Amino acid sequence: MASFERFDDMCDLRLKPKILRNLLSEYVPNEKQPLTNFLSLSKVVSTISTHKLLSESPPASIDQKLHAKSKSAVDDWVARLSALISSDMPDKSWVGICLIGVTCQECSSDRFFKSYSVWFNSLLSHLKNPASSRIVRVASCTSISDLLTRLSRFSNTKKDAVSHASKLILPIIKLLDEDSSEALLEGIVHLLSTIVLLFPAAFHSNYDKIEAAIASKIFSAKTSSNMLKKFAHFLALLPKAKGDEGTWSLMMQKLLISINVHLNNFFQGLEEETKGTKAIQRLTPPGKDSPLPLGGQNGGLDDASWNSEQLIVSRVSALMFCTSTMLTTSYKSKINIPVGSLLSLVERVLLVNGSLPRAMSPFMTGIQQELVCAELPALHSSALELLCATLKSIRSQLLPYAASVVRLVSSYFRKCSLPELRIKLYSITTTLLKSMGIGMAMQLAQEVVINASVDLDQTSLEAFDVASSKNPSLTNGALLQACSKKRKHSGVEAENSVFELRIPHNHLRSPISLKIASLEALETLLTIGGALGSDSWRESVDNLLLTTATNACEGRWANAETYHCLPNKSTTDLVEFQLAALRAFSASLVSPSRVRPAFLAEGLELFRTGKLQAGMKVAGFCAHALMSLEVVIHPRALPLDGLPTLSNRFPESNSFGSEKHNTPNLNKLNVIAHDGDDLGNRWQAKADVPSNNAIQRTLDTTLPLQESNRLKVGNDLATVVSLSVQDHTDIVASENGQQADVPEKVPEESLGPVTDKDVTAPKDGYEEVVSGTQEGEDLAVKDSLMEEASIGKKIESLGESDDDPIPSLQEGDFLSSSSDSDSDIES
Amino acid sequence: MEITVIASSSIDEGIGSWDLKTGTEQLQFKPCASPAHGLTAVGEKFLASSQLSARNTSGSIFYWSWTKPQAEVKSYPVEPIKALAANNEGTYLVGGGISGDIYLWEVATGKLLKKWHGHYRSVTCLVFSGDDSLLVSGSQDGSIRVWSLIRLFDDFQRQQGNTLYEHNFNEHTMSVTDIVIDYGGCNAVIISSSEDRTCKVWSLSRGKLLKNIIFPSVINALALDPGGCVFYAGARDSKIYIGAINATSEYGTQVLGSVSEKGKAITCLAYCADGNLLISGSEDGVVCVWDPKSLRHVRTLIHAKGSRKGPVNNIQIVRKTIVANSNKTQVSWKSRGALIPPPLEKYERPVEDTMDGIVTVDPPPFSDVPVYSSFLSADLIDEQVKELQQQGSAATEMEMERLKLEYKRSLQMNEQWQKNYENLLQVVMEEEQIGGTN
Repeated sequence: MASFERFDDMCDLRLKPKILRNLLSEYVPNEKQPLTNFLSLSKVVSTISTHKLLSESPPASIDQKLHAKSKSAVDDWVARLSALISSDMPDKSWVGICLIGVTCQECSSDRFFKSYSVWFNSLLSHLKNPASSRIVRVASCTSISDLLTRLSRFSNTKKDAVSHASKLILPIIKLLDEDSSEALLEGIVHLLSTIVLLFPAAFHSNYDKIEAAIASKIFSAKTSSNMLKKFAHFLALLPKAKGDEGTWSLMMQKLLISINVHLNNFFQGLEEETKGTKAIQRLTPPGKDSPLPLGGQNGGLDDASWNSEQLIVSRVSALMFCTSTMLTTSYKSKINIPVGSLLSLVERVLLVNGSLPRAMSPFMTGIQQELVCAELPALHSSALELLCATLKSIRSQLLPYAASVVRLVSSYFRKCSLPELRIKLYSITTTLLKSMGIGMAMQLAQEVVINASVDLDQTSLEAFDVASSKNPSLTNGALLQACSKKRKHSGVEAENSVFELRIPHNHLRSPISLKIASLEALETLLTIGGALGSDSWRESVDNLLLTTATNACEGRWANAETYHCLPNKSTTDLVEFQLAALRAFSASLVSPSRVRPAFLAEGLELFRTGKLQAGMKVAGFCAHALMSLEVVIHPRALPLDGLPTLSNRFPESNSFGSEKHNTPNLNKLNVIAHDGDDLGNRWQAKADVPSNNAIQRTLDTTLPLQESNRLKVGNDLATVVSLSVQDHTDIVASENGQQADVPEKVPEESLGPVTDKDVTAPKDGYEEVVSGTQEGEDLAVKDSLMEEASIGKKIESLGESDDDPIPSLQEGDFLSSSSDSDSDIES
Repeated sequence: MEITVIASSSIDEGIGSWDLKTGTEQLQFKPCASPAHGLTAVGEKFLASSQLSARNTSGSIFYWSWTKPQAEVKSYPVEPIKALAANNEGTYLVGGGISGDIYLWEVATGKLLKKWHGHYRSVTCLVFSGDDSLLVSGSQDGSIRVWSLIRLFDDFQRQQGNTLYEHNFNEHTMSVTDIVIDYGGCNAVIISSSEDRTCKVWSLSRGKLLKNIIFPSVINALALDPGGCVFYAGARDSKIYIGAINATSEYGTQVLGSVSEKGKAITCLAYCADGNLLISGSEDGVVCVWDPKSLRHVRTLIHAKGSRKGPVNNIQIVRKTIVANSNKTQVSWKSRGALIPPPLEKYERPVEDTMDGIVTVDPPPFSDVPVYSSFLSADLIDEQVKELQQQGSAATEMEMERLKLEYKRSLQMNEQWQKNYENLLQVVMEEEQIGGTN
C-alpha cells in the first residue's frame, strides 16, 4: 500500500517522516552496524535543517494519523541517539552526542521541554568520564552549550536551568587542570562563556575557583597565544556572573596590579626604580586591604618564568586584552573606570623604547637589552589597544584627562616609526576627534597634519623623482607652520632635527595601510574642525590631499586592466587607497573654510573622470562627491518665510533653476536629486518652516551619517555665503536714492569685504529692479527690500560660478533666451 | 519618547511640568526660585536649578528626580550661581557665578573639576556647543566668550600665559540676556541678545560679528529655527519678533514681522523640533505653545495658580525615553531614583587627587535585552569530520612508515640468526672430527 503513495511536491508534509526514517536507516549507525562514512553526517545535518524534519507539526493543523506518524518517526530518532550515546564505543557515542546537539536546536518546544533534562545528564556523564576520548569531550561541550542556548529561551525554566548549569562548573574546573588539547580547551571556554552570558547565577558558589583556574591557564607557559586570547576574553566576561559594580572594580584592580607587577620585572634597568613602586601604590591606597593576587594566593607564578621576556610580554598582552574587553563590553550596572590608573599604565609602557637611562647602564647587559627590544613592539601595540578601549568606553567623559592624552599621543607620534603602531595611533586620533569634537580638533590638528604629511610623502614609486623635488618645499611648509604655531625655540630645533632624520625611514616604509589610516585621520579632522583655528594648516592640507588623490588615481585608472594579473589582495589595497584618498579630498573641498576651496576645479575634474571608471566602488563615490560639491557650488539658502514669488517677473529663471539642479541618474541619488529639485522649487516659492524640516529629515535619513554631516556643513556654507550676499545687497540698496532711511555707506562697508568689481558688475540688473519698482508703486517697502535681496542672491550665485563675470552675459541672463543660459553654464 | 516642558519662576512657585503632546500637567517640583537660565535637565536623569537667595553670601543648587516633587539633593557653592547648564549626556554641569567665575562640575561624583574667572561681572548665560566641546558664556558686562573645555584642562598651556578663551565678543554695550548656537559644527553661528535692544550674529569659525539687528524693545529671549535662517526674539514689549539672519536691514521689525498677545513681557523661549513648536513664557506666568507656520498659539499652560502669579523665567524641553516593558519601567524608575548623584563640591581638589581619577559610566539604556548565543553543533560536526579524515590519512601514512621500518629490522634480525646458526653448526662438526681421530 505505502509503495504506491504519491506526494504533492518536495514540501509535502507527508514526506518528512519518510525522509527521517530513510536517514535513520541509511546513514546513522546502530549498535551493531559499524560507522562506515563520516562524511554522511554532514548530509544528515543539512537535510534535517533544510526540511525541518524534527519539528513535529502541531496536531491541530493536520490529520491525526499524519501527526502520529511524524511523532513516531522523531521518537525513533531520539531513541536511536540515546542508544548511541550510551554505547561503549567512542565513535558511536561521538555520533550520538553531535546529533543530540543538532536535535536540541531543531526539535519542537514540547519535546525539548520534556527531554532536555535526560539529555543533559547523558552529556554530562561523558564530560565527567575520565576514560572518554578527547573528541567525545569536545562534542559534549558543544552540545551542552547548544542545549543551554535553547534552554535560555524558556523563561519559566530559569531556576532549573541555573541548577543544571551549576553542575557543570566543577567538572569543567577539573578538565582545565588536566593537560588538555587546544580543541578541548576551546570548547570549554566557549561553554563557560555561554553559561556566564545566559545563566550567570550558575557561577555563584564557584566564582573564585573559576577565576583561579582561568588565571593559572593564562600564566602557564604551555598556553598558546591563540588560547591566551580566548582565556582573557572569558576572564573579562566573568564579572557578569555577579553583575555588581564591586566585582567589576575588583577584577579591574587585580588585572592592573598583575600587569604592573609583570612590568616591574620586564622594565628593570629600563626605567626609574620608583615608577613601578608608585604604580603599585596607587592601585592599593593606604588604609585599604590589598586584594588577593589574580589567580589565587600564589598567583600561579613560578620564579623560572621571570627570565623569559617573551613569556612576560605574552602574559601582559593577554591581561591588557582582558582589560580592553572589560572596558568595551557592556555591563548591566554602573561601573567606576579607573581612568587615571589606566592612562598611567599606558604612559608607562609607551615611555620605554629600549634605550638605557644613563644612570642605570651597569645593570643591564647587551643580550638582555636585545631580548627586551625584540618584544617591545608587541607590548606597545597592546598598550595602544588598551588606550583605544579606554577612550571608547568613556568617550566625552575624558574631558579632565583629554589634555594629558593629547600630549601622550603627540609625544609618541614623534618617536614612533613602526607602521603598525602608527596605524593604531591614527585610529586613536580618529576616536578622539569623533568623541570630543571641535575642542579636540583644535588640540590635535598640528600633530595630525605633520604626521600625515610625513606618511603620505612619496605616494607612488613611479613618481619618485618628481616627489623628491616636491618634498623639501612641503616639509619646509609644514615646519614653518609648526614654527609659527609653537613658541618654544628649543622645541622647534628638536623638531627640525627629528624631521630630517625621519624622512628617509618613512620614505621606504610607508605601506598602503598606513597611508589609508593617515588619510582617514585627516578626513575626520576636516569633518570635525575644518574651519575653526585652521589658518596655520588648512592650505597645506588641501594641497597635500589634492596631490595624494591625484597620484593615487593618475596612473592606476588608465592601467586598470594591468592589475587584473595581480593577486586579489594587492588590487583590493589599491582600491581602498584610492577610496580613502578621494574621501579625504572630498572632505577637504566640502569642509567649510574662509575662502572658496582652492582646488575646486581640479576636484571637479578628478571626480568627473573617476565616475567613468570601471571600478564601481570608486565610480560610486565619485558620483556622490559630485553631488556633495553641487551643494558647495550652488548654495541653497533655505528660503525665508513669506518670500514673494518671482516666476512672473523673471520667466527664464525656471529653466535656469532646473538646469542648475541636474544631478547624476543613479538609484541612490535619485532621491537626493528629487530633494534637490524640491529645494530648487522652494527657492522660488513661498516656503513653510515645517516643510524645510521635513526636507532636512529626508536628507538625514537618506544619507549615511557621515555624508549627512558633510551636507549639513555644506548647507552652513550656504548660510555663510548668503550672509555675504546680504552684504552686497546692502551696498546696492544704499545706492538707491529712494530709500531715505538707509544709513551712511561707510558703516555698511565695515561689515564685510567688498570689491569694486562686485559693486559695479550688477549695475544693469539693478536698473531692472528700479524700473520694476517704479512700475509697481503700490508695493510695500518690505516687499521691495525682499526683491532686492533675492536679486542680490542670484547675482551673487552667478558670481560664485565664475571668477570673472562678464557684464554682457549677466545682462543676457535677465533679457535673453535660455540658450544664453546654457552657454553661461557651459562657460 | 515622551516630551516634557518644564518651567520655573523667580518666585518660589516650584517647577511646573507638562506633557507637551497632551497638555497634561505633571508633577510640580518644589521648592524652586530660580534665576533666568538657571534651570536645566541633566541628561534624562534629573532636574537641576540654581536658586535665588536673599543673602548674596552663598548660593545653592537643587536636584529633583522625575518621580518625587521634593528637592532630593542640595548643593551649596561658594557664591550664588546664576546661569546653569548641563551637557547633552548629562555628565558635566557648568555654573556661572555673580562674580564672573565659571564652575565646571562632574555630575556623577560632584567634583569641582575646574573653576576659572570668565568675566568681570555676573555670568548671565551659558550654552554648550552642539558637540559639547565648546562653551559660550555671556555676562552682565556685555561680553561673550567662547571657551574650549579641553584647553581649560591643559595645564601646560595655562603656564604659558595664553588667554584661555578662543573668542571674545565685546560689541554688546549692556547685559547679555540670551545666547543660542545653531547646528553648524565648527562653522556654527551664535546669536546673542542684550539689554541694548540689539541681537547680534557671530561666526564661530571666524570669531567676528556678522550682523547687528536693532529692535524697538529689549530682547529677553531667543530661539532658533533649525533651518538656520530665522530666529525668534521674545521682547519686553510682549511681542515675539521673527528675525532673519540674512536680513537686509538693521531693523528687526521691518523684516518678517512679529506676533503678540495681550500680556506682559516675554521672558523665555524654546523651540521643540518634534512637531516644530515654539514655546514662550511671560511675566504673567503664562506658557504659550505656538505654531511657527501659522503664527497662532496652540495651547496655553498656566504655570502659577491662584492670585499670586510668578513670572516664568525658564523654559526647557526635555525628551525622556520610556522603557517598553511596564514591569521593567517600574524597576527602571526605582533605580533611576536611586541614581541621583551626590552634592556639588565647593572647592577644587588638589591636582594629585585628580590623577587617581575614576570615571563613572552608566550602562547602556537597553542593556536588559536578553543575549542570544548561536548554535554550534552543526559546524562542529563538519570540523570534526574533517579532522578525523585528516587524522586518518596521516595516521595511515605514519603506520605504513613504521611497518616498513620494522620489516627492515626483521630482515636484519633474520640474517643475524642465520649466521649464529651456521657458526654453531660449524663448531659441532669440528667436534665430531676431533672425536673420530681419537
